[in-house]
Amino acid sequence: MTLTRQAIVDHLIDIAGQDRVITDEQVLKENSYDRYKKLETIFGIYTTPIPAAVVKLADTKQVSEVLKFLNKNKVNSVARTGGTATEGGLETIVENSVVLDGSQMNRIINIDSTNMQATAQCGVNLGEFEDRLREQGLTTGHSPQSKPLANMGGLVATRSIGQFSTLYGGIEDMVIGLEAVFPNGDITRIKNVPRRACGPDIRHVIIGNEGALCYITEVTVKIYKYFPENNQFLAWALDDMSMGFKILREVMVEGYRPSVARLYDAEDGAQHNFDQFAPDKCVLMFMAEGNERIAGATAQGIAALVEKYVGKYEECTPIDGKIIENWFNHLNWGPEKIAQERELIRKTQHLAYTTEVSGNWDCINIIYENALKRIREDYPHMDDLTMLGGHSSHSYQTGTNLYFVYDYDVKNCKPEEEINKYHIAINALIVEETLKAGGSMVHHHGIGKYRTPWTKQEHGSAYYILKGLKDQFDPNGIMNTGTIYPVE
Amino acid sequence: MKIAVCFKIIADYDRMSPKDWEWDEHYVVDTRFVRSIFNCFEESALEMALKLSRPLEKTADTAELTALTIDDEKADLFLKHLIAVGYDHAVRICPNKKLALRFSPLSISHLISAYMNHNAHQLVIFGMQGGEGDNGQTGFLVAEQLGWPCIREVTDVIKTESPDFLKVTSRIDGASLVQIVKLPMVLIIGNSKDSPYLRIPNLKQKLEAKKKQVTLLSEHDLKLDNKEGPHKVGLNKVGPNKEWFNTDKTLINLHRQKVNPPCIFLEGQTGRDQAEQLYHQYLKKRLP
Repeated sequence: MTLTRQAIVDHLIDIAGQDRVITDEQVLKENSYDRYKKLETIFGIYTTPIPAAVVKLADTKQVSEVLKFLNKNKVNSVARTGGTATEGGLETIVENSVVLDGSQMNRIINIDSTNMQATAQCGVNLGEFEDRLREQGLTTGHSPQSKPLANMGGLVATRSIGQFSTLYGGIEDMVIGLEAVFPNGDITRIKNVPRRACGPDIRHVIIGNEGALCYITEVTVKIYKYFPENNQFLAWALDDMSMGFKILREVMVEGYRPSVARLYDAEDGAQHNFDQFAPDKCVLMFMAEGNERIAGATAQGIAALVEKYVGKYEECTPIDGKIIENWFNHLNWGPEKIAQERELIRKTQHLAYTTEVSGNWDCINIIYENALKRIREDYPHMDDLTMLGGHSSHSYQTGTNLYFVYDYDVKNCKPEEEINKYHIAINALIVEETLKAGGSMVHHHGIGKYRTPWTKQEHGSAYYILKGLKDQFDPNGIMNTGTIYPVE
Repeated sequence: MKIAVCFKIIADYDRMSPKDWEWDEHYVVDTRFVRSIFNCFEESALEMALKLSRPLEKTADTAELTALTIDDEKADLFLKHLIAVGYDHAVRICPNKKLALRFSPLSISHLISAYMNHNAHQLVIFGMQGGEGDNGQTGFLVAEQLGWPCIREVTDVIKTESPDFLKVTSRIDGASLVQIVKLPMVLIIGNSKDSPYLRIPNLKQKLEAKKKQVTLLSEHDLKLDNKEGPHKVGLNKVGPNKEWFNTDKTLINLHRQKVNPPCIFLEGQTGRDQAEQLYHQYLKKRLP
């Protein structure tokens, strides 16, 4: 028998205590969405069902007890920590869902500078974690723009990536071990060892599960020595993206590992005021990081490599690295920037969204050109767009990512219609063109609830494995319904 | 109606750290690595003029808008942006003595007044203050030289049914003053709640604007190097044998005031510890 909303709340209070079960209407509304639906929530419109309760989880044991109860009674749960998800993964699309808020599980458990690893509960804020590490001259190397707000559990759950990924990797390269709770209440721990060959790497069942398989309660990540004093910034202006991709590839293939390797097209660059320094140009930039010798050698090597292009092509010209350094130091967004953004949207009805994809070197420029062309030709509301462009910000030996950016003025529609008219429609064109060219439809935001129409196409025959995980670990379908897996 | 909005682009000082505040022997702080932005009051002024240019249904007259700045070529990007959002003319005065103009509102006002005397505008709009210099005098000096009335701390301006009059709202001693004023007029824009941000052009408008030219003017074009002088009306004329460039001020020192934000760090390992400390030490005693 399905439990009533009140019965769910009463049972949760029995398990977690009155103080930890929140039913205040405004809190429930604010926990029904993430950073996907901006406009309608700014105007106080909530089109998804409001959850029955938010449970402020105290510890792993309590997570287990709560999940066991929800599983037994087939009540949908949505895992949440920092709330910075951008793809609707935190939306409560099922009536009477329960939001499992791990933000109070915020203890840094251990910083082990011998084995170079640190362990944190899921609700530890990455910014605070980094501050603690940096007091000791250490860093996780993870620095997404959401660092001031995002928590460790959410970062691991969405396969987050940071701005220094070309050196440190994505979060999946940093995680050594984890603790997670499955819907049946089982608490599992994956031990912290440097490597092992003991069957498949089961960390990857948990990393990136977006709350659709289990609840992450604790993570252990690698830590590194922190040498900000050695950072060196390099940048060049280019005529087109294809040359930029070519240079990016060469830098990676030659074995250089700058922490930052970015390529902006002229339109996206203008959003960051690069047009003031390189009008109508693409901008290619690097940051070399590490101890003095490594940072120096990386910067010198990259400069020598790009210098070949400067000599060969007139359109490749150097830009003062100080410009990039100054810009880079103001890139993160904390609570104050989000509040400003929401106020600006309220006043101007002007929004900006992104779709991030990836592809191998041989198709990345095709994806870039085809997706933009498709939007320009097929999107019916082009006149409302104020910006359309993109950049690459995470490179690998085999390819790179593309971050499509599009801004628009909302015209002739209600706030609740905006997301379908603009973001969803443009996102769909980008995803389709990416998959057509052989790339991946999601680079680092997670599938959330709005790219699920393409989950099967993305995985192809490997969807069998993905489906098997859901069947095995969440047979009752209570873990963040509609996320990663399409609702059928 | 012809409207000119005078604006200045400034370095985004919020993006400069204390160590960046170093100056050379001419007291010039190097801001070349920092992005430039519209001075905030002038951004309001520019948007306000755009709203004002919309025709009233009854009269169907559209204002002709000119954006005017005194700067080097880095301002052209901003002028093109203004063309994209609807300005009819983008004008940049590029005198030779820019360096010395930094703290010389009187010289700047001579340049602007000279431009106005060559172009039959009925309304000139300024922002209240610029980031650099921060003198707050330029608008008043231009009004004086043109012999036009001036209203400061304007927060809103709308058309009336007569093309010769405007309805202007301004702040005065904390109150709001609404006046019907006759043109010509100088308006100095303060904090506008209705027009705080400049609108953003769409892709088509940006492309169109790229094809248009910025008008460049020198002091020669403004006849300021002409001994006969350009001014026919107003006070403080630049007349025969008078130099437009004002040398009544010499910058002899710069000093950056250290600002220590009134900040207390809360001790405690957890948010709960810190909240308790905040409550017991700082909030409790203030509660009724």
